[in-house]
Amino acid sequence: GESGYAQNGDFEDAELDDYSFSCYSQLEVDGSQHLLSCAFEDPDVNSTNLEFEICGALLEVNCLNFSKLQETYFVKTKKFLLIGDSKICVKLGGKHITCRKMNIVKRVKPEAPFDIRVIYREEANDFVVTFNTSHLQKKYVKDLMHEVAYRQEKNENDWMHVNLSSTKLTLLQRKLQPDAMYEIKVRSIPNTNYFEGIWSEWSPSFHFRTPETTIGEMD
Amino acid sequence: TYNFADCDFEKIREKYQKVIFPALEGYMSGIKSTESNHTVYCGDRPGCLAEIKHLTFSSTQECPLLAKEILTKTNAILTHHCPGYSGIQINNTQAMKKRKKREVTANKCLTQVSNLIELWRHFSRFRRNKS
Amino acid sequence: FSDPGGPLHLQIINFNFETVQVTWNASGYSGTNLTFLYKLRSNEMYGQCPNYILQQGRTAGCLLEAEDDGILYFSIRNGTQPLLTKSQWISSYLKPDSPKDLNFQWHEEAVTVTCSDLPHNDLLYEIQFKSTFDTEWQSEEGTTCNVTIVGVDADKCYFFRARVKTMESTYGSDTYPSDWSEVAHQQRGERRDSCQERKLFPRFILVSG
Repeated sequence: GESGYAQNGDFEDAELDDYSFSCYSQLEVDGSQHLLSCAFEDPDVNSTNLEFEICGALLEVNCLNFSKLQETYFVKTKKFLLIGDSKICVKLGGKHITCRKMNIVKRVKPEAPFDIRVIYREEANDFVVTFNTSHLQKKYVKDLMHEVAYRQEKNENDWMHVNLSSTKLTLLQRKLQPDAMYEIKVRSIPNTNYFEGIWSEWSPSFHFRTPETTIGEMD
Repeated sequence: TYNFADCDFEKIREKYQKVIFPALEGYMSGIKSTESNHTVYCGDRPGCLAEIKHLTFSSTQECPLLAKEILTKTNAILTHHCPGYSGIQINNTQAMKKRKKREVTANKCLTQVSNLIELWRHFSRFRRNKS
Repeated sequence: FSDPGGPLHLQIINFNFETVQVTWNASGYSGTNLTFLYKLRSNEMYGQCPNYILQQGRTAGCLLEAEDDGILYFSIRNGTQPLLTKSQWISSYLKPDSPKDLNFQWHEEAVTVTCSDLPHNDLLYEIQFKSTFDTEWQSEEGTTCNVTIVGVDADKCYFFRARVKTMESTYGSDTYPSDWSEVAHQQRGERRDSCQERKLFPRFILVSG
């Protein structure tokens, strides 16, 4: 679980800016290297001299320092134990300003699915949707739930959603408008009791047009 | 010696499946555990954890030390989910080994890791109500 | 399973923790009756196989009652000369029973397939399905025999079958999937005796991306 606490003792008289931050992890994002990314929730925080540090639940070391790229702090390593809580702290001049207890296996953000495509099967009056995910080859976060979203392009917010654990889905022609342009995309979230987390980014969208003809009766 | 009877077996089982098995499997690098003889048995869940702890942290002529990742993860799981279990001081273990500064070739520990995997597997097969 | 120690090619199958079958390819010892000695605990004495499997009148295997989930210590000998001596967890060679009595619950564009779970941990229940328009089976898996398949068209006639697999983290990679269950046919939420196979000249049109 996560609870945040500030080290007020370090800055007795300092007026506490809002240094709350959030993080997500990507396991085996580069071979067996994991990535932990953190950013301040308030985009206006002046982060010039601020540093991030993670301690606890690490292999062979007590703590690791984050690197910084624009407004994101990140650490790329193989040394995450993946068991138990770590403590992530914001530091100013080597002093802790605020810290949070965090279990990185509960903050996993999968990589976005890719290669989504749609095949129309005239005889079957349906569309076969397939896509791919890099997580099938991973050791740790292998089980994902995927969310396919599709809409008629002219209906801005009228998305339909289907959740599935496999990477193949059939859409029935009779459920779609004829002769209409559709957009379809997919995203993923961890689907186990152990590794939990947040939705990935959406895959790139795929656009397809439904045929004009109406559907014949199926024998 | 510590009695593992009060451990949270289901939590340990979950962490074995999700975190320790990938590490052990990586260590075996494709070699099947059935290619070795299975010689270490355990009869119930506490007994299996005791054997697992012993085999993980034991040192033999052939295999003085298992990979740090396996040691640290096993230690973390047992200390997290076995009340009163204080774990093994891994750094000291290594200090003790310093005198035998010998390059541990990975396959020297294959039989030990293979038996370790089979102990964890047996631990995992115990049904919830049968400890 | 080819034993690195000798020419005997061995196969071990643990039928749902009920019986264990060990067979060997005795081509290197034609004309000889090899003997199979075994024990289920390391501190016991080896005993003779209670139930040999014969081939052309020669011993080619042994069938054992699987008392428990334990280690099988065995030795295959040509007279007094041991050809192969091994000790293996019998769970490493598990072949679960195949699922029976599949049940179907149809909802809007989805169907939930259920059957009774086997009494062993960490099994995977694989449901395969295809409509008469599909050339290949498609798979869905669950850790219990309760698997929901989305995107199915109740109007179409579907074939369903199920089998049980083991998780490698708990059983290793030398196990066997169960045999497939009988194929069940379903259309419009009801059981069918069969589905009319179609001569498929699939006209697949990759709609523009």
